[in-house]
Amino acid sequence: MSLLVIAVGLFCIGLYGVLTRRDLVAILASIEVMLGSATLLLVGLAVAGRTVQGSEGMVEGVGLMVIVLAAAEAAVGLALVISVSRRFKTTRIDEIVKVRG
Amino acid sequence: MSVESAVFTVLGIVAVAGGLATVFAADVSRMAIGLGAFLLAVAGFFVYWGATFLGVAQLFVYVGGVLVLMLFAIMLVHRTPDGSPRLETRHDVSAVAVAGGLFVMVVTALSGVVPDTVDHGLVTGTTELAEALLGPMLAHFEMAGVLLLVALVVVVVIMRGGDER
Repeated sequence: MSLLVIAVGLFCIGLYGVLTRRDLVAILASIEVMLGSATLLLVGLAVAGRTVQGSEGMVEGVGLMVIVLAAAEAAVGLALVISVSRRFKTTRIDEIVKVRG
Repeated sequence: MSVESAVFTVLGIVAVAGGLATVFAADVSRMAIGLGAFLLAVAGFFVYWGATFLGVAQLFVYVGGVLVLMLFAIMLVHRTPDGSPRLETRHDVSAVAVAGGLFVMVVTALSGVVPDTVDHGLVTGTTELAEALLGPMLAHFEMAGVLLLVALVVVVVIMRGGDER
């Protein structure tokens, strides 16, 4: 198993979860899998192709930014899920069809 | 098989199994365990490649923060009187085609560019990371702080709204 197959495979597993899951929390978990696999490929590629001198710290820096983004995304996403479940009494996306402007 | 490639293979298997459990598990707690295994495996990859700080941050933020947040959301949202709640998944062929097609496309496109194995690690410590964060990445660092503040405010606004809005 190569790095590419693992990371892209995990991204596609997450994508499949986003497309097929019917529950908002499960969709958020699948998005976390997609984000994690993208970070994995990013850091793995940076480690594998280390050619630019003095850029070693940047690799970890960029990975850290992705972690920060994912944390903010998870917090806002879960707050929205709880808000939706309060209003509609469900988190199934099939049942949340009422859209108000 | 050397120790390094054995560690790589084990981490890869744990990550893929965790990802599959996150996507396919019908039980909420199994999904959370799968997500935890996946996130731990990713942290393991980071430590294995020498990005120790990133691995520890992944462990703290994801496993300690996001996963626990997700468990709390599950506890608040999925309240059923009888037993563990079930998660519904609607499998269909087009989703398999999209995910499988993307996999084949990206792997084919990148197979010549990406090296198969990562045989050397980073030799950086926190000093290099700090120099990068406070040097060329200073703007990103500040923006990340602002982003977290905005996310915090947004979460408070969303949660305060409640039913009356």
